[in-house]
Amino acid sequence: MANFNTHFTVAAGASAVVSATLLSMEVVSPEQAVIAFGLGTLGGLLPDVDSAHSTSIKVGFNVLSLLMTIMLIFAKSSTYSLVEMFIASAVVFVGIRYAFLELFRKISKHRGMFHTIPVAVIWGIVIAILGQWFFELNSLVSWVYGFMIAFGYLVHLTLDELYSVDLGNRRMKKSSGTALKFGMFKTKEQKIHTAVIYAVIPMLLMLAPNTEMLETALFSQDAWLTFTDVILPYDGKWFFH
Amino acid sequence: MKKSLGIVILSILFVGCVPVPTPVIGAGTGIGAGVMHSEYGQAPHNYATAIRSYFSTKIKRGSTAQYKFAPPRRAFKRKGLVYGGDVAWKGWIVETTVAVPTRTGRYLTPRKYMVLFSGEQVVEEILGTHHKLITLVDR
Repeated sequence: MANFNTHFTVAAGASAVVSATLLSMEVVSPEQAVIAFGLGTLGGLLPDVDSAHSTSIKVGFNVLSLLMTIMLIFAKSSTYSLVEMFIASAVVFVGIRYAFLELFRKISKHRGMFHTIPVAVIWGIVIAILGQWFFELNSLVSWVYGFMIAFGYLVHLTLDELYSVDLGNRRMKKSSGTALKFGMFKTKEQKIHTAVIYAVIPMLLMLAPNTEMLETALFSQDAWLTFTDVILPYDGKWFFH
Repeated sequence: MKKSLGIVILSILFVGCVPVPTPVIGAGTGIGAGVMHSEYGQAPHNYATAIRSYFSTKIKRGSTAQYKFAPPRRAFKRKGLVYGGDVAWKGWIVETTVAVPTRTGRYLTPRKYMVLFSGEQVVEEILGTHHKLITLVDR
């Protein structure tokens, strides 16, 4: 299993490549590319939040509690006084960072459902929904952000799976097959968890932004042509534009 | 089992958090129809010129882009839930199709935008023809 630093470095590197490509293809603006890069890197740390004492869980809950506190301030800044905002922010921050974290530690199991592909998909859809409903982003940018979180998440799962190969002894470690998987099917309880996770996806898609723009921007013939246009200098003049 | 139940409850709560859209205000012909119209103001007349001018500085190679415009339609937009979710804008939307050339000169598949107007003034542009926070009054 890769450690925190490895996950951080690989997720950041992969996200940098993807967000720079999206910027070059003019799918996103420079500011949006920076956010996409950040989300991809964060996505690369998310799967380990189910590990009770990992650095990821601390980073994840720090980010979550700060984000929720900032959202509260945005929503209530025009109606609450400074003292009211301070008290409400403190309650939200402490509640999430400490109380919710403790609860989460008790109910989660490392390498359980968090290390599955459908959960990566769910994270992507949730981010797209939050982008449009909460932050007024257009459908394309919302989905790009969702895509980046899911991408970072899948990079993490793939890296964990690669680390389960012992190249020296040429054998598979015991952890093989526990990271990049479509669900858990050994026990009845695991099968129910997997079914629930898959059932949640169509429910979330009902709330998700329209995907038409994303399909055109990333998964169309036109997108491919744009990608090939930006790989090499189109006029053969290297570094002289 | 508890975990599964928790996930289902969280999903339902999440779905339930989304506000129900305000009932669509019809064009109407009876008494008070004029008042409802006035909330949105007059439809923009010179929208084509205004949009071309707006996009020429807003998007890359906007001045050499090809434009197509649909007739203006009344609409309203809510603020994002982070900002309270109230109605933030009421006015006219002009659906605009913009084909922009790439750096190589090839024209991309046209992109559709919703351009929001208050009077003759462009307020903002939103990529795409759907947005969860925008309700079109005129279908």
